[in-house]
Amino acid sequence: MSYVDQAQSSYENATKHIPEGVKVYLPILPVMALVGVFILYPIAQAIYSSFFAKSLLRPDQAEFVGVANYVEIWTDPDIHQVLWNTFVWVTVGSLAAIVLGFLMGWLLDEKLPYTSVASAIVLIPWVLPRVVGASIWQFMFGGSQGIVNELLVQMGLIDEYIVMLGSSDLSLWPPIIGMIWRLAPLFALLTLTSLQGIDEHLYEAARMDGATPWEQFRYITIPMMKYNLAIGFLLMLIYNVRNFSMVWVMTKGGPGVSSSTLPVMIYRAAFIDFEVGFASALSVMLFVVLLVFSYYYIQFYDKVQGEM
Amino acid sequence: MATQDSDPTAEFRKNQSWLYDSKAGGYVRKTAIGLLTLVIGVFVLFPLYWMVVTAFKTTAEIQQIPPTVFPEDFSLEGFRLVIESSIQAGGYAGLVQNLFGITVTSAIDINLLGLVVSSLKVAVGAGVIAVVLGTGASYVLSRREFRGKNLLMSLLLASLMFPGTAIMVPEWELISWLGLFNTHLALILIYGAMTAPFVVWLMKGFFDDFPDSIIEASRIDQCTPFETFWYVLVPMARNSLIASFIFAFLLAWNELVFALTLLDNSKFTVPPGLLTFVQGFNTQWNVVAAASIIVSIPVLAGLAYIQRYFVQGLTGGAIKG
Repeated sequence: MSYVDQAQSSYENATKHIPEGVKVYLPILPVMALVGVFILYPIAQAIYSSFFAKSLLRPDQAEFVGVANYVEIWTDPDIHQVLWNTFVWVTVGSLAAIVLGFLMGWLLDEKLPYTSVASAIVLIPWVLPRVVGASIWQFMFGGSQGIVNELLVQMGLIDEYIVMLGSSDLSLWPPIIGMIWRLAPLFALLTLTSLQGIDEHLYEAARMDGATPWEQFRYITIPMMKYNLAIGFLLMLIYNVRNFSMVWVMTKGGPGVSSSTLPVMIYRAAFIDFEVGFASALSVMLFVVLLVFSYYYIQFYDKVQGEM
Repeated sequence: MATQDSDPTAEFRKNQSWLYDSKAGGYVRKTAIGLLTLVIGVFVLFPLYWMVVTAFKTTAEIQQIPPTVFPEDFSLEGFRLVIESSIQAGGYAGLVQNLFGITVTSAIDINLLGLVVSSLKVAVGAGVIAVVLGTGASYVLSRREFRGKNLLMSLLLASLMFPGTAIMVPEWELISWLGLFNTHLALILIYGAMTAPFVVWLMKGFFDDFPDSIIEASRIDQCTPFETFWYVLVPMARNSLIASFIFAFLLAWNELVFALTLLDNSKFTVPPGLLTFVQGFNTQWNVVAAASIIVSIPVLAGLAYIQRYFVQGLTGGAIKG
């Protein structure tokens, strides 16, 4: 008797009193239990906690405070800086990653030599462990030995080395540049696959009809890529809003809160100030933002799947 | 842009684009593409280059101002220090002394071997859980109709939406309550839960596309559904299964937030371990770079293996990130 037969007969023995209509749920049960306990329950708990004043040090002494945590968010002295930083992260980071990624994808689609090698290499920033990528950038931007300072001096843009990661005027930008470096390859890959997915015959037909390269781009390439680009766009937004590692490794959100984004503020509220309720209210805010993005993401995803 | 069309209008319109069709336009276009490639290439590759050359510099050279673009004397000091301190911190100094007669003492404190072993444990565990549980569920979700199926699928999808940062507080409380604080099991379960929905989604796609005729043929050969699943579908799904496993593995290998909050130094995986070393006093960047290269190798090997699943995986796993 093989292992499979054994497994099957013991499965059948164990489930013989269970009606057929219920049996179908059994293979799904373990996954749902795991996801339910470790993802869905914490989500519900975060929403629930956001209505309590609660410290991580004394989790038993929670006091119901209604929407006070949400009110506190708006009166928090740091919140405006953090929301502004998050906004800059999302808009600047996403747009730059999209433009750069599109160009990269388009270059990869051109029949340059070594295209297949290049498309593998281009992905490295994306797959490299995030802490590793962030450390490289920290080193390059960092204090006295940073190569970025030296390059800027060589190019004549600055006269002497400046402290970038420790300056409240500048510290937001190095992590954004690191993030663009990390995200652009993902957009490049999406661009490349959707460019390759366009039927060559469409271009042939268009050329027969006398379309110029610009018209071909405008009336074939862009419409054919539209949903893929929309997905890529939303992905960039989602990733940038959520990013924690790049900021945390490079600046810890500082100095002050000059480079903090929403996830960094949540981490600080929870694990440095131990204010669970406040952190949870911030989390709920992040949920809402992400839900909006994700809603559109799934809509576009269904459309792309439907068309492929 | 070689076309054989003889339509005179098309010919005329086409020739209007000197950038594409004239000889000079060809050069302009090629130069523009070349320059663009160069600029983008430098931006993408320079940080990687910098990591590699830094790993091969001596500690003295790293502190030099201005920094050298190429290591002056190519040195393995960074790698040596990583290996030595791993041997020492892992308690293998005596063993090495006995076997090779080499006395290992280390000036720095990074137990990379220990970090890698922790990460391997967590990543393999999470991968196995996600693939085993996810595949079974995806088969039923793909091949059977039952009440609540859509609800289940949307719950699984919804669970992929939420970022770790936003649920880490309740997760911290839950893990403490379960008595799993500072255990690798906690991370295995969380990462497993984070990737299982993605595996369900990927494998369901595979089973959905699977031709009915093969399943019918195995029915005619008197296979039970279970045997069909195990002997027919699983072997044919091998590539998708490996891809699922590698995705789960990579997520667990790279994840920082949960590892940072749920473990302490003695149990750290690679990301928080590297982070503490980077943020230590007087960071030795050649050691960091050497360690970074070592821990990136499994990731890059995994990437090379599953390259063709990548877009699918990235966009789907995107919501997971």
